[in-house]
Amino acid sequence: MSTATARLPAEIRPVLDNGIPAVMVTCSADGKPNVTVISQVYYVDDTHAALSFQFFSKTIRNVRENPRAYVCVVDIAGHTQWILELEFQRSETEGAIFDAMEMQIEAIASATGMSGIFKLRAADIYHVLSVEKITYPEWSGS
Amino acid sequence: MIPGKIVRFVEEYANVAFAGTRNKHLVPYGHRVSGWRVGSDQRTMIALIPSQFTPRLIESLEDNGEFALTVEEFPSHETYQFKGRYLRHRPPDREDLEILQTIRTRFVKSMRPLYTNAPESIWHAFIMNPSLAVEFEVFEIYLQTPGPGAGTRLVPPPEEPAR
Repeated sequence: MSTATARLPAEIRPVLDNGIPAVMVTCSADGKPNVTVISQVYYVDDTHAALSFQFFSKTIRNVRENPRAYVCVVDIAGHTQWILELEFQRSETEGAIFDAMEMQIEAIASATGMSGIFKLRAADIYHVLSVEKITYPEWSGS
Repeated sequence: MIPGKIVRFVEEYANVAFAGTRNKHLVPYGHRVSGWRVGSDQRTMIALIPSQFTPRLIESLEDNGEFALTVEEFPSHETYQFKGRYLRHRPPDREDLEILQTIRTRFVKSMRPLYTNAPESIWHAFIMNPSLAVEFEVFEIYLQTPGPGAGTRLVPPPEEPAR
């Protein structure tokens, strides 16, 4: 378990809520990386984020055998991408965080034509190990 | 061998991609991918990676060779993940940059009707110019389109052992 801690800055909160899918990378115990698109990164507090557990996926298995995870969230209008290094702590199937994520998931599913497919099984809670902001240049036409 | 149907998806429909690696301590890391193509042998792929996403890339690949590439068509969400082993890297060549431009145009065209108030330049900028072309040999392909079938291994077929 890592002892590092980083704080999620206030400016990342609207990015987490912008509805643009994020990307998550995990690694199995036998060393194979796995890349998946995730629909939601939920702000819990300034040192924790929650990710939605919707299907029994490779990602879910990976973080339970190797808790480290990488997440990239996008602020397209701000030409910025945020890199979060996370460590899985626990899974919640009820409570305020679960209820709030479930409501968001239903809204995202409805907006993206995925109603009936997206269903929250659990809110997986992660500790934030590092936060990095990557800014990329505006379009110059080439 | 990458099936023809998936080659067509990758080359004609996919508009966004992301790669994953891991270091010797099994810490995963991600790399945004601006462009991609399937090798003429249909066993290898090339991922074009912008400089902002190259930190830790070559160090990890030279340590263990593990490389995963997820390619998606947005907004349909049809998605495949390719897993394999790093072969080599080099600066992007002219053919890579032509493919990048095709993908950028495809991406902008797919975003335009979804975000009608957004300036088109932000979608162009999102597909960043690459600084590195990473070639890898594909050993496994997984379906990752959201839904109950997500995670199903397509290549090799589930009844055959993975490499």
